[in-house]
Amino acid sequence: MGFADQFWQLTVDGLMVGSLYAVIALGYTLVYGVLQLINFAHSEVFMLGAFGGLFAARGLLPGGATPSGPASVGLVAAGLAVGAACGAAAAFILERVAYRPLRRRSAPRLAYLISAIGASLFAVNLAGKEFGRQNVPVPDLFTNGTLFHVFGAQVSTQTVVVLGAAVVMLVLLDRLVARTRLGQGIRAVAQDADTAVLMGVNVERVIILTFVIGGLLAGAGGFLYAMTFNASYNMGFVPGVKAFTAAVLGGIGNVRGAMLGGILLGLVESYGGYVFQASYKDVIAFLVLVGILMVRPSGLLGVRLGRAA
Amino acid sequence: MARRKLLGAVALAGVVALTAAACGSDDGSSSDGKKTITIGFQGVLSGDNQQLGINALYGVETAVAEANANANLPFKIRLVQSDDAGSPDQGPTAAQKLIDNSGILAVVGPMFSGATKASEPLYSQAGLLSVSPSATNPALTTLGFKTFYRVIAPDTVQGTADADYIAAVLKAKKVFSLDDKSDYGTGLSAALEKELKARGATVVHDGINPTKNYTSEATKIIAENPDVLFYSGYYAELALLSKALHDKGFKGVTVSGDGSLDAKYVEQAGAAAAEGTYLTCPCSDANSDPNAAAFVESYKKINGGARPGTYSGEAYDATNALIEVFKNLGDNLSRESVAEAFGKVNYQGVTKLVKFQPNGEVEGANDFIYRVKNGQIVVLGNTVDLIKS
Amino acid sequence: MLTPARLRQLWVCLALGVLAAVVTGPGGDSAHPFRALRRSVVDPRIGIFIGLAVGLWVLLIAVARLRPLLAEVTAAARARRPVAAALGGPHATTGLNAVLLAAAIVAPLLVSTAAQQSMVNDIGIYALLALGLNVVVGYAGLLDLGYIAFFAIGAYVTAYFSSSSAMPWHAPFVINPFFVFPIALLIAALAGVILGAPTLRLRGDYLAIVTLGFGEIIQLLANNSDEVTNGSRGVFGVPHLSVDLPGIHYRWGIDPLPYYYLLLGIVVVVMIAFGRLERSRIGRAWAAIREDEIAAEATGVPTLRMKLLAFAIGASVSGFAGVLLATKQFFNPQSFSLQSSFLVVAIVIFGGMGSRLGAVTGAVVLQGLAFYLRDKVPPTDRYIYFGAVIVVMMIFRPQGLVPSRRRRREIELAGTTAGASDQLGAAPIGRTIT
Repeated sequence: MGFADQFWQLTVDGLMVGSLYAVIALGYTLVYGVLQLINFAHSEVFMLGAFGGLFAARGLLPGGATPSGPASVGLVAAGLAVGAACGAAAAFILERVAYRPLRRRSAPRLAYLISAIGASLFAVNLAGKEFGRQNVPVPDLFTNGTLFHVFGAQVSTQTVVVLGAAVVMLVLLDRLVARTRLGQGIRAVAQDADTAVLMGVNVERVIILTFVIGGLLAGAGGFLYAMTFNASYNMGFVPGVKAFTAAVLGGIGNVRGAMLGGILLGLVESYGGYVFQASYKDVIAFLVLVGILMVRPSGLLGVRLGRAA
Repeated sequence: MARRKLLGAVALAGVVALTAAACGSDDGSSSDGKKTITIGFQGVLSGDNQQLGINALYGVETAVAEANANANLPFKIRLVQSDDAGSPDQGPTAAQKLIDNSGILAVVGPMFSGATKASEPLYSQAGLLSVSPSATNPALTTLGFKTFYRVIAPDTVQGTADADYIAAVLKAKKVFSLDDKSDYGTGLSAALEKELKARGATVVHDGINPTKNYTSEATKIIAENPDVLFYSGYYAELALLSKALHDKGFKGVTVSGDGSLDAKYVEQAGAAAAEGTYLTCPCSDANSDPNAAAFVESYKKINGGARPGTYSGEAYDATNALIEVFKNLGDNLSRESVAEAFGKVNYQGVTKLVKFQPNGEVEGANDFIYRVKNGQIVVLGNTVDLIKS
Repeated sequence: MLTPARLRQLWVCLALGVLAAVVTGPGGDSAHPFRALRRSVVDPRIGIFIGLAVGLWVLLIAVARLRPLLAEVTAAARARRPVAAALGGPHATTGLNAVLLAAAIVAPLLVSTAAQQSMVNDIGIYALLALGLNVVVGYAGLLDLGYIAFFAIGAYVTAYFSSSSAMPWHAPFVINPFFVFPIALLIAALAGVILGAPTLRLRGDYLAIVTLGFGEIIQLLANNSDEVTNGSRGVFGVPHLSVDLPGIHYRWGIDPLPYYYLLLGIVVVVMIAFGRLERSRIGRAWAAIREDEIAAEATGVPTLRMKLLAFAIGASVSGFAGVLLATKQFFNPQSFSLQSSFLVVAIVIFGGMGSRLGAVTGAVVLQGLAFYLRDKVPPTDRYIYFGAVIVVMMIFRPQGLVPSRRRRREIELAGTTAGASDQLGAAPIGRTIT
């Protein structure tokens, strides 16, 4: 039962989790790109999106047998949409409450970090109070089972749905940043906010929209995460730290870097947990991070958002 | 600048006022002439494990509410909570808060072994009785704590009995022992593995910190192809693990300990993934034991419809054993007399007979085996009887 | 007069009122996600909150109206400046410090033993940690999110040297925990150098994530090494501190008060020492690195060595605190979680970056708040209030409670867009010159 026998299975497992990390990491990287600050409350945006999607899917689910076919597709899409909307709303409120007032006062950068930690504590514990402290599984929206095999590795319906949705979101975001006017605005602010103002970019609007885009992704990612595992009030912290690590790994502020970092982190965890005692998998993940940063001090693709894509 | 500061001050004052207005005082002096006895509860009421604390607290509150509704009792019980977040850092402060309150005659708690080790020196010094519903670290009764009792058997009892069952009844040749790297999990897996090896089974050990992602762990377990997987940890994680294993088509049998004996396990894993899982506990499970139906009913009534969970029954028993002691002592109530008398208590609770050995260990804890059948946890019987038959 | 701005203010006040109603309202569960929400909003109680919200709004307007009047009064007072003169002189600072010290000495005698426990475990130890981290974050401008690792190293080193039974792995000899202080200090400093040497060339947030990883690694190693550290079962039985000199025999017990005074003494000594350090050549070098690393390098400041020094000094204080924790009570790897690291950073920023008094004040206020809330609100809701206070505080006083003089000036400059400063202090947007 060597590592080689299970390599492809572990790769499939790692890719699924890694794609989720990538989706969350984008929120960190976008906000970092335009504001140069770590949005520590992003993990709570993720959590609130997960609950939103969960409640929507549960509310729409007809009783009885597990749905299939178009009904499943519709339910997953609805969960993703509501999750994304909740994430966006949470991110918007977060920006208004915990960031904008500080920006008006030209607060030191670390003050944002602390207000984000405060907002995060508030949101986590309020969610615990409102929704209870138990884990809440998303009811089955489709029949999960092995769809096909790749090099002997089982690929489940779940994996296909998560990977598919994540890849679509990643591609959409990449195009958005690269092609649209908003994307141009984001890149302009990331590169040089002051010049961007002179060029007629509405910086406030770009900042808000950056938060909202990050929130959309995190909310949808949260729903996917809850669908794969389950939702709970404190579900955000660990994937939040992981996604932040992924963003740094790829080069923080870099959209494609965050994607790459997320996937890589998912794979490293999957392999590391197999080869060593599973409780060491975070140690291995962080050692890989340190190793990569030693060689490339600004991450794998270390260019800024402004020059990326 | 001045304006901002003022606005800030005003807003802060506003928030404080709102908060203060909301948190009215609650002093529970009884009005019908009965005297009031105060007891404390120390447990995990904040942080990631707060659900376990809430389970236990609700158990205590159920016993307290039942006692206060009982017209035959010559006293009323008042409960003071103290949160230790399950961490050793907060333990002494939480314990000291209850010790400082000189009206408190006994404490239910602490809950986690770590917080217990940090708190018990203080309880011993103060001579205040503390009855833990959930601290299972075997060492706890050997560290010289004078007023420590627990209504739950140490990990060694359960681990050994479970290993016997797995080897004798399930006839497992190869066991994958996975723990959650917590104090409880490592203690249980160590006891289990020791006995399994003594009985000649092959044991593969792994540890994984609580997470939501058990996908690659499931791959690892299936690759080892064990007859039995034993998980030492709590139901929230076991549910996710069972789900991941089910999705990947695990063929072996899953067994877990008392941390997983909770109806929420089936709910969170899904009936299909949970089906056939063995759960063990050195206690009887209130939810599946017909004798405890009254407890489940009153628990649900008092706690807004919530069902008893892991440690609810133990906390309920600990509280009722205390009340039994208060009843027997009559007017001779002091911390000394309560601590003294508690060692000799003999009370039939819903999880077990509460009766102690001199070191504070509960006597004659029987290990019971439960199994998930058709989405319900049903009791199979006592380990000793099951092995014999 | 209802201008749109005033109306918006009213909405914000009302939203705050509803939020307060929800926060203080009943709890719910996931089966009925909005029941708790509905019960808190559709309830007679909501009237109180709406009333308070409107009251708050009226108060805000009144204050705005009275502002010119108040300004006149304060201006008049300032013209006479009796207070300012009294507080401004060099003697005033000494006097203020004496008063604060006296208050710190008397304070524990006025509170319950439980509060004394909290003053040792939560306030005292965290004040010491914050003072140490302040060197790294406040002076040198390096964000360290894994600072608690050195605390762990100090605690485990103590267990290794001073007890033969607390951990499976122990020294072949047993020494008095007092002698572990210098050893722990050196080992923690060494760990700081070992972590810092390869990583300190990383900038800003890259350093933050690497230190965060280091903190995680140390905690996981401690938790996983059952045969070395006793793993999650923790370390029980490290002897209490004791002095055994000819003529002096004293043992610290489980009573918190002696530990409090010991901690107070250490905190005062560390504050004095760091004050000197801050004003020394080294302190100025740190300030230069913080403000502009490239310029500092160009003017001959050995930046890497200075940053390493900051790391080592910060780490050694943390190791020191670890010794105190280990000798005071039982601990396990839970004590060294990532959340604890965040808490120390929060204390430093909350108190005022770069300010020694700020670090201590931050610990007193934040941890004191957590203790105060313990009895005032349901424990499960404690951190809702805690989080809210942090956000409100950062909104209205982003520079911290007791900002250092230099930091205050930087923020004022940034406010007038006359020049932003360093990596951690710079305002992200709204700067004109970088």
